[in-house]
Amino acid sequence: MSKKEYKLEAKELNAYYGGFHALKGINIAMEEKTVTAFIGPSGCGKSTFLRTFNRMNDYIEGFRVEGEILLDSRDIYDKKVRVDELRKEVGMVFQKPNPFPKSIFENVVYGLKIQGIKKKSVLEEAAERTLRQAALWDEVKDKLQKSALALSGGQQQRLCIARALASQPSVLLMDEPASALDPISTAKVEELIYELKKEYTIVIVTHNMQQAGRVSDYTAFFYIGELVEYSKTKAMFTSPKDTRTQNYITGRFG
Amino acid sequence: MTNSDKNRLKDKAFQVFGIFCTFIGLVVLAVLIVKIIMEGASRIDWSFITSLPSRRASRAGIYSAWTGTLWILVLTTIIAFPLGVSAGVYLEEYAKKTRLANFLEINIANLAGVPSIIYGLLGLEIFVRQMKLGNSLLAGALTLSLLILPIIIVTTREAIKAVPRSIRDGSYALGASKWQTVWHQVLPASFGGILTGVILALSRAVGEAAPLIVVGALAYVPFAPTSPLDEFTVLPIQIFNWTSRPQAAFLVNASAAIIILLLITFLLNGIAVYLRNRQQKKIKW
Ligand SMILES: Nc1ncnc2c1ncn2[C@@H]1O[C@H](COP(=O)(O)OP(=O)(O)OP(=O)(O)O)[C@@H](O)[C@H]1O
Ligand SMILES: [Mg+2]
Repeated sequence: MSKKEYKLEAKELNAYYGGFHALKGINIAMEEKTVTAFIGPSGCGKSTFLRTFNRMNDYIEGFRVEGEILLDSRDIYDKKVRVDELRKEVGMVFQKPNPFPKSIFENVVYGLKIQGIKKKSVLEEAAERTLRQAALWDEVKDKLQKSALALSGGQQQRLCIARALASQPSVLLMDEPASALDPISTAKVEELIYELKKEYTIVIVTHNMQQAGRVSDYTAFFYIGELVEYSKTKAMFTSPKDTRTQNYITGRFG
Repeated sequence: MTNSDKNRLKDKAFQVFGIFCTFIGLVVLAVLIVKIIMEGASRIDWSFITSLPSRRASRAGIYSAWTGTLWILVLTTIIAFPLGVSAGVYLEEYAKKTRLANFLEINIANLAGVPSIIYGLLGLEIFVRQMKLGNSLLAGALTLSLLILPIIIVTTREAIKAVPRSIRDGSYALGASKWQTVWHQVLPASFGGILTGVILALSRAVGEAAPLIVVGALAYVPFAPTSPLDEFTVLPIQIFNWTSRPQAAFLVNASAAIIILLLITFLLNGIAVYLRNRQQKKIKW
């Protein structure tokens, strides 16, 4: 492999919940402005791994990592790294839409307000920009001050995406972002991912093989804490190298 | 009789018994209230509310008592609200689940069950004697604060617990610190619940006589307090005082004062219920 600059890398990553070895010696590298899908049976560690990229596991008692996670070649578990700075750079969208019980506007600008940005014009501009990016602007532009909880599930999830984009991150982590949505909303989110790829490096966990096939450039297959196979999505779906991968994507287990 | 017939009969029997139990409580309460209203309602007029206590029942009023109650209510709120909420937030959000935290938790639950007169004795020793506050409103309010702190702490924690994990995750994922998450998300989302708990705790404090008698609230206070260091009386003590007089006219006064005290308590409870309902309507996770 040439000495390429990767956006995200994991090197010999091991993760533990207390005595439980959840991630085992994972090595992976993701290029900028690509979509990588994490697939694998339930409990294999996809979410755990995804959450190491923005250190969301830090709050879990007994959790620890060994090895390195690199963002733009910097180790994000280094003591000098500030978690709030890291999360400005690495946004996250969760499985269940989790809008704050506040107005749509307040939801979108929350990340900026947290950073101390108070200027109304800046916030308004950011809100419009990210809501447009999340393909939600037309639906909500007349009710920005209404409660975000009044939106439909699909709209809420796009709001959460907009919220994650407000601080202009370069990486977007998505943990089964469409699994709680109806087919039409799912299609919208997938379309969105396709658009966002032009500007962001995206990592998405999904249980839906078709979805992985549709939205991702690369796919990583995990099995009981190990990264079994990682390759271009097309290659993996047409000619998986490992029998475990093959069994999984043809639906024989998981 | 088949087995299912028997079960149905038992079901029916328990239903009847349950209804009976429910009504006993309600009926007794209703009888009490009706009796008190019949005795006291006609005694309530403007001069009853604006007059100071007197040796003559017909001239006596509750001015010093209800102003004392109001003072106590306000001072207790100022003291207990920030302390209790802060302690609840600390225990729920910050304290590591250590042995010490466990020990604290169990004991706070225990404190909520300690008889109120014990708090009175504690207040007498600490606030009245050691801190030399004397038999003042402040000493009384501090004592009642101790009494209701455990309730506020426990309800604060319950309210905070009801805020789903996903809201905190969302906040952290956007780079918020723990404090920012608590301040901007957890507290606003649980504020209705916290306020409900605080108000219910206060409505308990308003009805207390024993601990205040112990810290030296007076039965006869011929003036309305004007500063936290003044001596005072409160409605429950005034009522207690009047009911212990032999003259029937004072019993009427007592009934009238009870009506006022009940109104205050119902009002506080009503606000609490209103806030809780509004909160439930506003936020559906
Ligand atoms: N907070 C935790 N404490 C202890 N063990 C945990 C914790 N979270 C996850 N685990 C364990 O770590 C393993 C990986 O969990 P993880 O949530 O990463 O799986 P996943 O691949 O995302 O599964 P799913 O597809 O069901 O979301 C599982 O065995 C799980 O039981
Ligand atoms: Mg998961």
